[in-house]
Amino acid sequence: MGWEEKQVRGYLEFAQTAQRYHGRPIFALFCGDKDAEGRSWCPDCVTAEPIVRKELHNMPDESVFIYCLVGDRAYWKDPNNEFRKNLKLTGVPTLLKYGTPQKLVEEECFKAELVRMLFTED
Amino acid sequence: EVTAETSQPVVFVQEKETGDHEKTLKAQKEGKPQKLLEMNEHTLVPHSYDYDLIVIGGGSGGLAAAKEAAKYDKKVMVLDFVTPTPLGNSWGLGGTCVNVGCIPKKLMHQAALLGQALQDSRKFGWQFTEEVKHSWMTMTEAVQNYIGSLNWGYRVALREKKVTYENAYGEFVGPHTVKATNKRGAEKLYTAERFLIATGERPRYLDIPGDKEYCISSDDLFSLPYCPGKTLVVGASYVALECAGFLAGLGLDVTVMVRSILLRGFDQDIANKIGEYMEEHGINFIREFVPVKVEQIEEGTPGRLKVTAKSTKENQIIEGEYNTVLLAIGRDACTRKIGLDKVGVKINEKTGKIPVNDEEQTNVPYIYAVGDILQDKLELTPVAIQAGRLLVQRLYAGANIKCDYVNVPTTVFTPLEYGACGYSEESAVEKFGEENIEVYHSHFWPLEWTVPSRDNNKCYAKIICNIQDNERVIGFHVLGPNAGEVTQGFATAIKCGMTKEQLDSTIGIHPVCAEV
Repeated sequence: MGWEEKQVRGYLEFAQTAQRYHGRPIFALFCGDKDAEGRSWCPDCVTAEPIVRKELHNMPDESVFIYCLVGDRAYWKDPNNEFRKNLKLTGVPTLLKYGTPQKLVEEECFKAELVRMLFTED
Repeated sequence: EVTAETSQPVVFVQEKETGDHEKTLKAQKEGKPQKLLEMNEHTLVPHSYDYDLIVIGGGSGGLAAAKEAAKYDKKVMVLDFVTPTPLGNSWGLGGTCVNVGCIPKKLMHQAALLGQALQDSRKFGWQFTEEVKHSWMTMTEAVQNYIGSLNWGYRVALREKKVTYENAYGEFVGPHTVKATNKRGAEKLYTAERFLIATGERPRYLDIPGDKEYCISSDDLFSLPYCPGKTLVVGASYVALECAGFLAGLGLDVTVMVRSILLRGFDQDIANKIGEYMEEHGINFIREFVPVKVEQIEEGTPGRLKVTAKSTKENQIIEGEYNTVLLAIGRDACTRKIGLDKVGVKINEKTGKIPVNDEEQTNVPYIYAVGDILQDKLELTPVAIQAGRLLVQRLYAGANIKCDYVNVPTTVFTPLEYGACGYSEESAVEKFGEENIEVYHSHFWPLEWTVPSRDNNKCYAKIICNIQDNERVIGFHVLGPNAGEVTQGFATAIKCGMTKEQLDSTIGIHPVCAEV
């Protein structure tokens, strides 16, 4: 069946989407919002996104890839934002396997090998 | 010397390694067996191995050595595989300490201490009306989640340092060659210039009816998916007492069945104080009995088990009913099924441990060993890590520091914690003679225990001095809260040769337990 992608914005949408696909492997990439020209305020996210996308074909069948924009820079910097509180995210970009402690944070997302390992590790 | 490979070209490499030290060091720095052969002026077909170093076992010792070797740009592989427990339990990369040892143990010990703290807090003015209850599942999930992040962290660390990792069972099949079998049964062969055995140990079973079917071990306890309930702990090792301690601290009904003495190898005066404290705090002890049979009365999570035990002294038989039986009677080295006979590595047939020289080298020059499997060495994570790192530095970085196994501090995390460094009273008497040692000791009452009216004569500190050597402190023992934190600094002082006079002249910090 392969895998599918869902694009969401904000914590509520993320949580609802993850809930909907409960039971399937869920991977999520969290990035800063993009402006009208499609550029994110987060330079590391800009670097990481194409690297992550190139490895998506390594995800197991039936996987769901959730691409989540977390919000603007001010929202992200707030230490009490929902992503920090509920998902314990510490930085963007973060790539994680939902429901497990497996994640890659910031520069770790630049390494194709690590991204591949996250997608294929069991 | 003994080597298995008398007809291989590599035997010349081995001979030269033990012979000409200077050339060997140079060759080691260059790291190429080919160069070494050239230097010996043999025109043999040069060996090129798949790896510079293959580490069998991804625990404390193995991972430390692998990461260190990668620092020196060596090509390293780690083979780690967990044979499932009789109940089918398994875990990720990191070894015993991370998955089923020190880490979950200390976290659960902390959970129990927090329970006690909650009780104490009322005396300090905290008011809460509800009864405090404990959820095994909440604690265990949180602990397992943390362990999972450590497993993942090791995977990332190895990958970033370009260490190849395979989740496969490694065993020797011939000189310089191992076979790696993964969980699907697929086999691969790898060769390396050198090997490091760091396979650790696993819990021993009693060899009585019902032991493997119904009993659990520490390998199962920390991820048990249901609260163990009324538990019988068999054994009197630190594993047994630490587990019994935190299970009781979490509110469970705990009984400890002891064959003879508590904490064999540790200072017995202190061991008995630990036992007394546990008994006074609600843990039942059945002394001088061993289980002979375990039967299932009822299935369940937990179920109900009937244990039949026999006295070690007379003919008495007793029976008891428990939800869980935890076996903690010892651990056996994983050295019997890794093909050591195929490469000629000698082990102690009785214990399974591997004797090594003071450079962690086995009787086969290109095979080394670290960690719990070593004969006559302390079974502690920091010891394995240190030995592994120093070994690699000697092999690949021209260093020559050997691991110092003397005066290694340890701590037992029983409900009343015990920190120690150096000789026990018994071993000091045996080594130096009773007339040549002086023992100074003191009970103390931690200030934090006064307000909640906790025991005022249980905490205890003792130092053992060598009279013939300026009253040098050769043994340090403390029984009380945060014993590990207290002991660490004193271990360095002992390493520096601290004498009683120096200890006396050090002004204490007040008010802390360590000032005693």
